[in-house]
Amino acid sequence: MTMEVTAGRVALNARAAVLAYLAVSGIVLLLMMLLGLTMRLAQAQWIDVEPDFFYVVMTMHGAGMVGIAGLSGAAVMWHFVRRHVPVSTAVFLVNLVFFLIGAVLILGAGFIGGFGAGWTFLFPLPAHSGELWSANAAAAYLVGLMIIGVGFLLLHLDIARGILSVYGGLGAALGVKQAFGLAPEKGGPPPAVAASTMVLIVNILGIALGAAVLVVSLVNLYVPSFTFNALAAKNMIYFFGHVFINATIYMAVIAVYEILPVYTHRPWKANRAFYFAWVLSTAMVLTVYTHHLLMDFAMPAWALVAGQIISWLSGLPVLLVTAFGTLANVYRSGLRWNLAAALVFVGVAGWAIGVIPAIADGTIAVNSVMHNTQWVPGHFHTYLLLGMVAMMLGFTAYLTRPQPRYGLGWIGFWLYVGGGTLFVLAFLLAGSESVPRRYAVHVASWLPYDRVGSVGAALAVTGVLILIARFFAGVRTAAQAEDPA
Amino acid sequence: MNGRPGTIRSLLALGLLALLWPSPLRHLLERDMAVHMIVQLPLLACGGFLLGSALRAHEPRWLAEADWLGLPGLLLVIFTTSFWMLPRMLDAALADPAIDGVKFLSVASFAGLPLALSWRRMPALGRAFLWANFIPKLGAIGGLYLAAPIRLCAYYRLDQQAAAGWTLIAVAVALAMAWFVIAFVGVPMSQAPAQSCRAGNEAA
Repeated sequence: MTMEVTAGRVALNARAAVLAYLAVSGIVLLLMMLLGLTMRLAQAQWIDVEPDFFYVVMTMHGAGMVGIAGLSGAAVMWHFVRRHVPVSTAVFLVNLVFFLIGAVLILGAGFIGGFGAGWTFLFPLPAHSGELWSANAAAAYLVGLMIIGVGFLLLHLDIARGILSVYGGLGAALGVKQAFGLAPEKGGPPPAVAASTMVLIVNILGIALGAAVLVVSLVNLYVPSFTFNALAAKNMIYFFGHVFINATIYMAVIAVYEILPVYTHRPWKANRAFYFAWVLSTAMVLTVYTHHLLMDFAMPAWALVAGQIISWLSGLPVLLVTAFGTLANVYRSGLRWNLAAALVFVGVAGWAIGVIPAIADGTIAVNSVMHNTQWVPGHFHTYLLLGMVAMMLGFTAYLTRPQPRYGLGWIGFWLYVGGGTLFVLAFLLAGSESVPRRYAVHVASWLPYDRVGSVGAALAVTGVLILIARFFAGVRTAAQAEDPA
Repeated sequence: MNGRPGTIRSLLALGLLALLWPSPLRHLLERDMAVHMIVQLPLLACGGFLLGSALRAHEPRWLAEADWLGLPGLLLVIFTTSFWMLPRMLDAALADPAIDGVKFLSVASFAGLPLALSWRRMPALGRAFLWANFIPKLGAIGGLYLAAPIRLCAYYRLDQQAAAGWTLIAVAVALAMAWFVIAFVGVPMSQAPAQSCRAGNEAA
C-alpha cells in the first residue's frame, strides 16, 4: 500500500513509493535484458528474428533501458535527498504514473505499430519509415517520450523547489562557494544534495530542449513540408539524450555516498575537491554531447574539437573523487561485505572501467574508425550494465536488508558480474575487430563474438533475475522497515 | 482601491493601453511580425497585468475561491495568448480594426489581468512547470516559423517570418538564461533548518 489515511488526510507512504519505483524498474529491466539477449542470440544465429523486427526490438530495448535507468536513478536520488530537503511524495508518484503511461505508448508504437527508428528518433527518420511503420506509430513513440519527460520535469522541479527552500540558490546547494574556497567545507551541502542539484540543473535543460525537438518532429510527421534543420535537430536530440543518460549515473552514484558509509562506519567526507568535481562536471555534462556528432562533417570544427577535449575530461572529476573516495572509505574499514556494499562497489568499478573505452571513442581519430562498431555498445554497456545498474541493484539490496554472507543472492551477484563482464568484453573485442553495430544479420566471421556475448548475456540475465526475485521476496518487509544505519 | 499605489497602477495600465491604440504607434508595432508578437502583445498583456494588480484588493471572494490554485485563470491566459499567436489571427487583426480592437481588449482582460490575479495562487511547483513549458515552446514555435516552407501570414513577408522565428528563439534563450541565473544565484527566502526535513517529509 502506498497510501495511509491519517487524521482524515491521505498520506502517501514515501518508502512504499520508492519500492514501487524499484519494482517497476526491476521488471522492466528484466524484460529489456531479455530483448537484448534476443538481439544477441539473433546475431549469433542461434534463433531467427526478422530484420524488421530486430530494429523494433533494438528501439524498444534502447528506450526501455534509458527509461528505467532514469526511473531507478530518480528513486535513489529522491530517497536520499529527502533526508535533507522537503519534497512531495505525490509528485514523485505522478512521475511514476507518467512513466507508465509513456511506456505503454512507446511499447505500443514498437510492438503494435512497428516503430523501429532507434531510441534516438533522429530527425527526420521517424517520418521516413519506408512503410515499415505509420505516422501514428511514430507519433505514439514521440508522445510517449514527451509524457515521460513531463513526469521527470515535474519531479526535478519539485526537488529544485525543496532545495531552494533550504539552500536559497542552486549554487549554494551545489557547493560552489566550498569548491572555490570561499566558504568552509564543513558547512557545505551533503553529497546527496550536491549531486541532486547537478542532476536537476542538467536534466531540466536537457528535457526542455528535448521537448522542443519532439514538438518539431511531431509537426514534421503530419506536415512533412515543415522541414527543420536536421543537424540542429541532431544537436538538440543528443544534448537531451546524452544529458539524460549521463544524469542517470550521477543520480545512482548517490547510493555509493550513502550506502557504503553505513557498512564501513565511516562518513563520506565531502571536501573541496568533491564540490569542485561536481561543479566542473555540471558544466561539462552540458557541453560534452558533441562527441556524438564527431562523424558529422557539417559540424563546425571547433565544436568537434571541444567535444573531444571535454569528452576526455567530462566524466573524470566526479569519477575520480568517487572512485578515490570509495577506496578510501573501504580500505581497512573492517567492512563485512554484503550484497548492497558489494554491488555499489562493483558499480563504481564498472563506471570507472567503462569510461576508458568511452574516452578512446571520444577521440576524433579513433571515433572515425570505431564509432559504428560494437566498441560503442561495449563501452556504454560497461558503465550502464556494470555501473549504473549495479548501483541500482545495490540500492534494492540495501532496502531489503542484505545481511546473509552466503546464499542465493551471492550466486546471483557472481552470475551478474561474471556474465556481464563476458558480455561487454565480447562487444569490445568485436568492436576492436571492426564488427559493425546495429546490424541485424552477421557474417560467419563475427559469430564467435556474438556467441560468447550471448552466453554472457544469458548469465547476466539469470543473475539479475535472482537479485530482482530476492528484492521482491523482501519487499513486503522492506516497506515497513527503516533504512539500515 | 488599495490606496495610492493601486490608483497609480490603474492609471498606468489605462494610459499604456490608450497609448498603444492610436494609429501611428499601433501601425508601427504591427508593421513587423516580430515586433507585433514580441513587443505589442506583451505590452498589451502588461497593461492588463497592471490593471489586475491594482484590482487585486477588490477581487470578489467567490472569484478567488473559484480560481482554485489559479488553474482556471492561467488556463484562460494560455488559451488567449495561444489564440493571438496564430498567424491567421495576426492577419485578421491587421485586416480589420474591429478585430484589432478585440485583440487589445482580450489580451489585456483575458491574459494580463487573470495573470496578475491567478499567478500568485499557483503553487511554486506549478509556476516553475509553466515557465519550464513556456520557454521550450517559445523556442519550438520559433523553429517552426523558420521551418515553414510558405508564408504563414498574408501580411508579412517570408523574411519577416524568419526574423520572427529567430526572435522567438532568442527570447526563449534569454528567458532560460535569466531563469537559470536567478535559480543558481538564489533569491532571498526563509531559511528552513535542514534537520527538520526528514520529519517534515515523513509527515507529508
